[in-house]
Amino acid sequence: MNYGRELLKGNTDSLLLYLISREPTYGYKIVKELEKRSNGYFQFKEGTLYPALHRLERDNLITGKWQILPNGQQRRYYYITTKGQQALAARLATWQDFSTAVKAVMQAETI
Amino acid sequence: MVSNISHYLNRFKACLKIDQTIRDGVAEELYTHLEDKRQELEEKGLSREEASKIAVQSLGSPELIAQQIYETHAQGSWKEALFSALPHFLVALLFTSYYWQNIVYVSIIVALTVSIAIYGWHRGKPVWLFPWLGYYLIPVVVTGILLLSLPRGWGWIAALIYIPLALFVFIYIVRQTARRDWLYASLMLAPMLVIFSWFSSLGIGNRLLSSDWIAGLQTNALWIVISFIALAGATIAFIRLKPRRYKILSLLIPPLVISLAVITTSRGSIHPWGWLILLFSLFAFATPVWMQARAQG
Repeated sequence: MNYGRELLKGNTDSLLLYLISREPTYGYKIVKELEKRSNGYFQFKEGTLYPALHRLERDNLITGKWQILPNGQQRRYYYITTKGQQALAARLATWQDFSTAVKAVMQAETI
Repeated sequence: MVSNISHYLNRFKACLKIDQTIRDGVAEELYTHLEDKRQELEEKGLSREEASKIAVQSLGSPELIAQQIYETHAQGSWKEALFSALPHFLVALLFTSYYWQNIVYVSIIVALTVSIAIYGWHRGKPVWLFPWLGYYLIPVVVTGILLLSLPRGWGWIAALIYIPLALFVFIYIVRQTARRDWLYASLMLAPMLVIFSWFSSLGIGNRLLSSDWIAGLQTNALWIVISFIALAGATIAFIRLKPRRYKILSLLIPPLVISLAVITTSRGSIHPWGWLILLFSLFAFATPVWMQARAQG
């Protein structure tokens, strides 16, 4: 298994929570935003996004609401919940600590 | 001609065995996604057909998405699991301390079962409904069996009128349940297999029920309690497990083992009518799983 893909898989939920915390958004926009912000680094089968969104919703970290657009089309927008904000804050803190520790170890090795 | 997008969504919906409202919602979400992608590609100069094809490819296998969505929604909560197992626990309770001989307790449980089954049926058929519905169906079948024991002539006339009606109700409920998911039909019919295994084992000689069948029930009360507790355990496992193959195993194995154990210990005392009832319940229990295997194969 590709290491980068494994890392992405392990952090998909945090990335989704972060993007949804910035503004209510929908599936297709999330895919585009991930690609744009990562300069094309995060590219995955778009379909895998929806099981992840539904898993977050089942765990009450986000909530989905249908909205009707002016052209009559329906879109499901996702909103972060209070529980989701708390989970995101905890994950970001863990990620910062982890990232700092990995960098410290790797830099010590390369010096 | 069916478009790539419609074909994709049909494949997705055919694989996803969850509540129809949730399934249609996810399909609508995927449809919006595919349309967004298609429009974007068309704006870049691709033809409608090419754009649809690429949009579908970028979303990935519909079977894989359906499986992952299923695993998200298929796991019921502990509350749902316990409520689904409650009718089995109530039957087990009936056979402890001989409550099953008390008409008041039996009436309360029957009324409770009927009320809950009707309530759940009209409230979107939640997953906890199906075991309750199984017990709701049992009196429908048992009445038909009892009609056969009426005096010669009358019994057959009553059976000829009643059995087609009972079969209609039975098949209607099984089909409605199977539309949601074939496995729920088996979940619903599991108590029927266990009850009819016990029922058939109480026959003797040339009679469907031996004259001392009440004594037989009393003698076997502990094993009856254990079999319904095992059924309750299997129901909890079915609701809580995520992968579909484990759900199938948890659903199939315990009722079949219980049934086999009861038949084996009856030492050949089962009346031909008992065998017929057993075969009917076994057939009814196994058909949904067979249909599922056939649909997947």
